[in-house]
Amino acid sequence: MKIVIRIIFLVFISFLMQCALPNLKVKKDSTLVKKPAFYDLGWEPNTKLSKGHLPIFIETDTVGRQQLFVLSNNNTPVLYSAQITTPVCADGDCKLMNITLYWTLLGDYAGFDTDENRPLTKHDHDEFLPEDYLKLHQLLLDNNSILKNRTIDELVTSPKQLQLEGIDALSGATITEVKESVVLGALYSCYVAWHLVHNSGVKEKIKTHTASMESTALRVAMLYEDNTEYQLYALERLSLEQYTNHFKRISAVYKNSIPLVRSLIIKRMPFTFWRTSELQYEFWNSFSEVDVNTRSLLLKQLNEVPIQVLETLSEELSIMTKNQLKVYLGAIKTHHTQIHNTIKVFANSEHNTYSYIAKEFLERQE
Amino acid sequence: MKLFLTLVFFGIVTLNTNAQELLVEAESFDDPGGWVVDPQFVEQMGSPYLMAHGMGKVVKNARTKVNFTKKGKYHIWVRTMNWSPGEWDAPGKFKLKVNDKLFEKSLGLRSGWGWEYVGELALVANKPTQLELLDETGFNGRCDAVYFSMSDKAPPSALEKIATWRKTVTAETNIPEITKYYDLVVVGGGIAGCAAAIAAAEQNLSVALIHDRPVLGGNASSEIRVHTLGIYGHFERILKMLDTEHYPNGSSKAKLDQEKRDKNVKSFSNIDLFLNWRAYDAKAYSDVIRFVDARQTATGERLRFGAPLFVDATGDGWIGYWAGAEFSYGRESKDTYGEEWDKWGELWSPKEADDAVMGSSVLWQSKKANQKQNFPNVPWAMTVAKNHTAINGEWYWEFSRNDLSQIEDAEEIRDHMLKAIYGSFANAKQLVKNDSLTLDWVSYLVGKRESRRLIGDHIFTFKDVVDERKFPDAVVIETREIDVHYQKVLTDEQHPDFMSEALFYKTPEYYIPYRSLYSKNISNLFMAGRNFSCSHIGLGGPRVMRTTGQMGAAVGFAAALCKKHKVNPREIYTNYLKEYMDLIASQKNRLIQNTKK
Repeated sequence: MKIVIRIIFLVFISFLMQCALPNLKVKKDSTLVKKPAFYDLGWEPNTKLSKGHLPIFIETDTVGRQQLFVLSNNNTPVLYSAQITTPVCADGDCKLMNITLYWTLLGDYAGFDTDENRPLTKHDHDEFLPEDYLKLHQLLLDNNSILKNRTIDELVTSPKQLQLEGIDALSGATITEVKESVVLGALYSCYVAWHLVHNSGVKEKIKTHTASMESTALRVAMLYEDNTEYQLYALERLSLEQYTNHFKRISAVYKNSIPLVRSLIIKRMPFTFWRTSELQYEFWNSFSEVDVNTRSLLLKQLNEVPIQVLETLSEELSIMTKNQLKVYLGAIKTHHTQIHNTIKVFANSEHNTYSYIAKEFLERQE
Repeated sequence: MKLFLTLVFFGIVTLNTNAQELLVEAESFDDPGGWVVDPQFVEQMGSPYLMAHGMGKVVKNARTKVNFTKKGKYHIWVRTMNWSPGEWDAPGKFKLKVNDKLFEKSLGLRSGWGWEYVGELALVANKPTQLELLDETGFNGRCDAVYFSMSDKAPPSALEKIATWRKTVTAETNIPEITKYYDLVVVGGGIAGCAAAIAAAEQNLSVALIHDRPVLGGNASSEIRVHTLGIYGHFERILKMLDTEHYPNGSSKAKLDQEKRDKNVKSFSNIDLFLNWRAYDAKAYSDVIRFVDARQTATGERLRFGAPLFVDATGDGWIGYWAGAEFSYGRESKDTYGEEWDKWGELWSPKEADDAVMGSSVLWQSKKANQKQNFPNVPWAMTVAKNHTAINGEWYWEFSRNDLSQIEDAEEIRDHMLKAIYGSFANAKQLVKNDSLTLDWVSYLVGKRESRRLIGDHIFTFKDVVDERKFPDAVVIETREIDVHYQKVLTDEQHPDFMSEALFYKTPEYYIPYRSLYSKNISNLFMAGRNFSCSHIGLGGPRVMRTTGQMGAAVGFAAALCKKHKVNPREIYTNYLKEYMDLIASQKNRLIQNTKK
């Protein structure tokens, strides 16, 4: 009975929304001048984004068909957004959630705004506290959330009941993880918002739209953003010439970005970089500051490097892994007194996990 | 057993009377006490070894008796390794006692496997001499061997020299003296290997099942405790004899399924089960495997196994590797087989091929005691665990790094996970709420997801799943999602490096063809389990154990037809496919009640 009432209510609300939405749209501002309340991209002062209609919609059972907008700065697309009004139901008790969602140019979550007159509320109708909004933002930032592959019923039904119904129970670890990731007392709102952002097919639509507007300027602009998805997107598409032209930015991204981006930079680095001393020093000099996987990829280039690089790296033996050390020692083809002396000191140190490898190397050299 | 060991040592000494030396393998001790035999890394460090896996509590002494043929003063060394060197006390220290003489020097201090000098002692001839290993820490001290010599020259430590030296000292011949013959030799007693053995045995083949552990099941065993996932496909009857309930990974309930599995496999009179035997070579001539050689992990006894057909269910693809089978390792580029998934980009399938693979897990659990429990400080674990706090593990306790081979560096991977576990638990013990917690179980076996993939006539890929390809030789059916892992630290360096994330691709159903289950270039080699013919992403779904069990059963039935028609595995596809597929389909109709469950 409860379910029937819930379905009727949902249909009714959806119908109301379909009727009301066109009017709502007209009333909305055509520009965005204020940084969204919760936002994950950079926002320059005095930014003014103009809003344009797109022939793209979010379509789900609960929200019906809602329009997507592109927000542009001097005709360069910056963001996508949608003003969502959706019913959120728990135990037959339904209410409307009003939220403006923002996506990046690649369809990832960028942030959200709420209407101060219509704050988000919890199951007990208490309004969200500031920390609850922040938690929702954190949840939405996680594109691989624990909520991803679960139905709402799985999350609210006790493991015992699920087992009785022949469904694999959620493990204790999963239940804890769900509790930790959602706003207490607002599981339904969190669930609905997460699935609208990540699981409504909007990402693919946005990516396709962005791809249709792609240009060298857009790629380069994305390279200069701090968003790692933008960096990956740009790095995969930059030409050899652009790699060289934007060398300074690429080496800065290399130092400051995540391991996944660094590994792509090293893997895609044009061959000329490894032939040009001053270009590659930028990368070798930060050997100790980058992650261990990137170091391994860097070391694959050792056979091309000038002797100064081998000298520099001889000071970093203690941070090398076993296999990195083997690669490094394997690259020393001729006797070089300074390098050998450094290796000797390392080999004789008691506290280095892999000093024995250096010892064996020196024994073979004798 | 004791008598046998004594004779072996006596034999060694007799054969080397001039050398006046004796090598005592630690894994062959009469009584290992609380030490465990670890045979996982033989191919890398040279031998099974004894390890004091006490989870922080000192284990009981290991003891054995040996006879010397010449009396005199002997220099003594142990082969050992400090598994976490640094500016702290070594985690796994132990001492050696010979008869009444306790050598005060702590052992297990050197970095990398090699010999540590213990001291000198006068010993008498032809009278049992007792050796004893005394654990000092309970944290995985390890001893491979004890070596006595009248010469003061230390044995070689370098890995490339140790194998030759060992053979000289033990005067071991190249070929095992006894050869046993079967219709089918299955190497690896995980779910895939067990299913292959049962299917072949049901078809009246004589089968040898060689497994390097005391219990069957591999990753599903009570020693590793990963639950089985996937569906039964055509083989419900067989797989129900072997699989597990859906308890949380690491659960002690794995022991119940262990009993069921071992009992079921042992009930087949035509399966000769070689538990605690590890294969160490496969001899192939003209791309045909003639023999697999194996060694008893404790006694060192060796056997040769001959058969017209072999199944590589080792997980790491060792049989294929030794025999010269083509194989792959690492991630293919997204263009190699068209496996790109835009949604996850580089995390799913890279633009350029690389050596990154899914990692290995070491599961663990703690339990509540009635009173306060202490846990020692573990400074040697903190470089890995850092601030991470945990009281048990799950599947996402996983470690992989692009410079580490899941095969060649498995010991380092296991040790990294041990540091993660002990360090995270030590952090948890700082909290008052965890006062009564104590470690209940920590596996010391590496639960691998991915390693060598032997290449067959068909390489199963993500595209086969996306396209829902229905092969004429589809012998495995699966509905579970494709599930590929990556290390969280790749996207956020704040995460510990031993945590992974799963990416799922949902699929209504996919199929694996029989052509992915036999080698492309070794004509009599089947493969089942994670070393079947697939790409990195192709492995993402079928690596779970009911699916690998389906593979095993499928090759067991194929082996029966190979025997019947005196043909190799490929010819089942080219000449006898209808008969084979009928046999596979008929399995569904066989009543489950008739099984030995």
